[in-house]
Amino acid sequence: MNTTVEVLGFAREPGWLPWAVQYFFLIGISTMAFFLSLPGLLWRRAGWEGLSRRALLAALVCGLAAPLALLADLHQPGRFLNFYLHTNFGSWMGWGAYFIPLYVGGLLAYAWSALRANRAGLTPAALVAGSGAVLVLLYTGMETMIVAARPLWHSFLIPVFFAVTAFAGAFGMTALFEALAGRREAPALNRGLRLGQWAVLLLVAAWLLLALSGAAPYREALATIQGGWTAAWIWFIASTALTLWLARGSSLLLPALFALHGAWLARWLVFMGGQSVPKLGATHAAQTLSLTPDSLLGIAGTAGLCLFIYIVLTSLVRWDEPAKV
Amino acid sequence: MNAHPDLSRRAFLGRLPVVTAGLAVPVAAVAETKGPHWAMLVDTRRCIACQACTIGCAVENALPEGDFRTVVATYAVRTPEGRTGLSVLPRLCNHCEEPPCIPVCPVGATFKRADGVVLVDGERCVGCAYCVQACPYDARFINHKTGKADKCTFCSHRIEAGLLPACVETCVGGARVFGDLNDPESEIGKRLKAAEGRTRVLKPEAGTQPRVFYIGLDDQLAGRVAGASATEMMWRPTHAGA
Ligand code: SF4
Ligand code: SF4
Repeated sequence: MNTTVEVLGFAREPGWLPWAVQYFFLIGISTMAFFLSLPGLLWRRAGWEGLSRRALLAALVCGLAAPLALLADLHQPGRFLNFYLHTNFGSWMGWGAYFIPLYVGGLLAYAWSALRANRAGLTPAALVAGSGAVLVLLYTGMETMIVAARPLWHSFLIPVFFAVTAFAGAFGMTALFEALAGRREAPALNRGLRLGQWAVLLLVAAWLLLALSGAAPYREALATIQGGWTAAWIWFIASTALTLWLARGSSLLLPALFALHGAWLARWLVFMGGQSVPKLGATHAAQTLSLTPDSLLGIAGTAGLCLFIYIVLTSLVRWDEPAKV
Repeated sequence: MNAHPDLSRRAFLGRLPVVTAGLAVPVAAVAETKGPHWAMLVDTRRCIACQACTIGCAVENALPEGDFRTVVATYAVRTPEGRTGLSVLPRLCNHCEEPPCIPVCPVGATFKRADGVVLVDGERCVGCAYCVQACPYDARFINHKTGKADKCTFCSHRIEAGLLPACVETCVGGARVFGDLNDPESEIGKRLKAAEGRTRVLKPEAGTQPRVFYIGLDDQLAGRVAGASATEMMWRPTHAGA
């Protein structure tokens, strides 16, 4: 076996910036939080009213911030109209340009009907938002999964991983809003959090089993996880287990924050970790967080935008029906 | 084997009158004639890793600092017997016959011309970088100056003017041969025939059918290389983004 050193090589910088991580994080949480809002607001399940209202708030905050993060990830944001003028319907991303407004529009109509107690409009709006949410979850997973050039992405487990971590994150975001509203406990949220963490752990275990059994492209994907990324994956698994442990009690805030951290880290590992791996040669893309709009400032900016939308929405609307379940 | 390192260049120039005459024939005649299908053959045995092509391309195509459409990856390979040698891999867009970069583009900005050249419509590209992800060869990147997808064009502006791509023109060792695959009498046609069974493409398992062929390509360098990278140990330029 020869020993090879790449004396002169080069690596491509990640084409999808941390903005993409923010987008996938926010839109995933929004869609799952929307589903969490259904029992109380659409189906009027007893005791779910308060929790579902907070879930709707989470869906709105994340759903309104997400498209801006996506726009910022385009290197030519001013040309976004080209998505509609020249759509390539053979591309999942091309479809995504239609699914996002369908979902966000449906969500706004649903929120309007729910908050105005407009029963007639609620069901159709929920149907539009629901189909939009399913389609958004589908396209975000598929557009990543079909990239055969990246072994870590090219797996049917990726859409499931995104959906499951978004599910856990939606419980986390809703629990955070409960905690911010001064609630001390919401057992249903902690139950959901635990379920989400179990599902994440099971998925990671299934992925690892596939990789260790030598199945392609899992084996190759595992081999490409090196250095700091290995440590980050180990931390991801450990923090998921920790979230599970924290959520066993009734405390809200800490498990909520950990669940959000997990949902965000999952996407960071997949997108930034996946893009650091060279497709040819041996040189990995340098991964440095810097104080630039495409890096830390972007991440902080998206968080600021969420906070702004939260403040506006909580100033305009009363969301504080107590959680009962 | 050709004794003249620059014969590929001369042979191409020698064919220029034919190309220009071809352009002058009536449209109906052109439609009947099978047009060219451009391709490249890289004879790695002739490459001395001087990076003249890297620079020639960057200058010709006015690339921003730190962006490259072609580069010659260079490796120090040590055999189990303890012998150490230099291996090279000149890298560029493969102008694949089945290019995965095209179907993913949400706005149809990337396309393959009838002459085989894969291009990006700079007016339409939204800079989403989906094609960058889909290319199995890291051939694409987002140009830091334009904010659009960028890659080797086989110097389409030059071939349309009857010239060779800049990297072929500048290649000191005559390692890059460019020409028309449809013409068995072309330099590339003859060289490919002479090297039949000994030419290789990068990552054939990706099913992309590259139109950049290699002679003397080290097996270990045809994909991701499991080895150390000196570049990772050195300073690298960073960009603030487009
Ligand atoms: S090498 Fe990459 S960019 Fe070039 S045609 Fe093939 S897939 Fe597309
Ligand atoms: S970066 Fe440009 S060429 Fe590439 S997929 Fe996006 S729009 Fe198409």
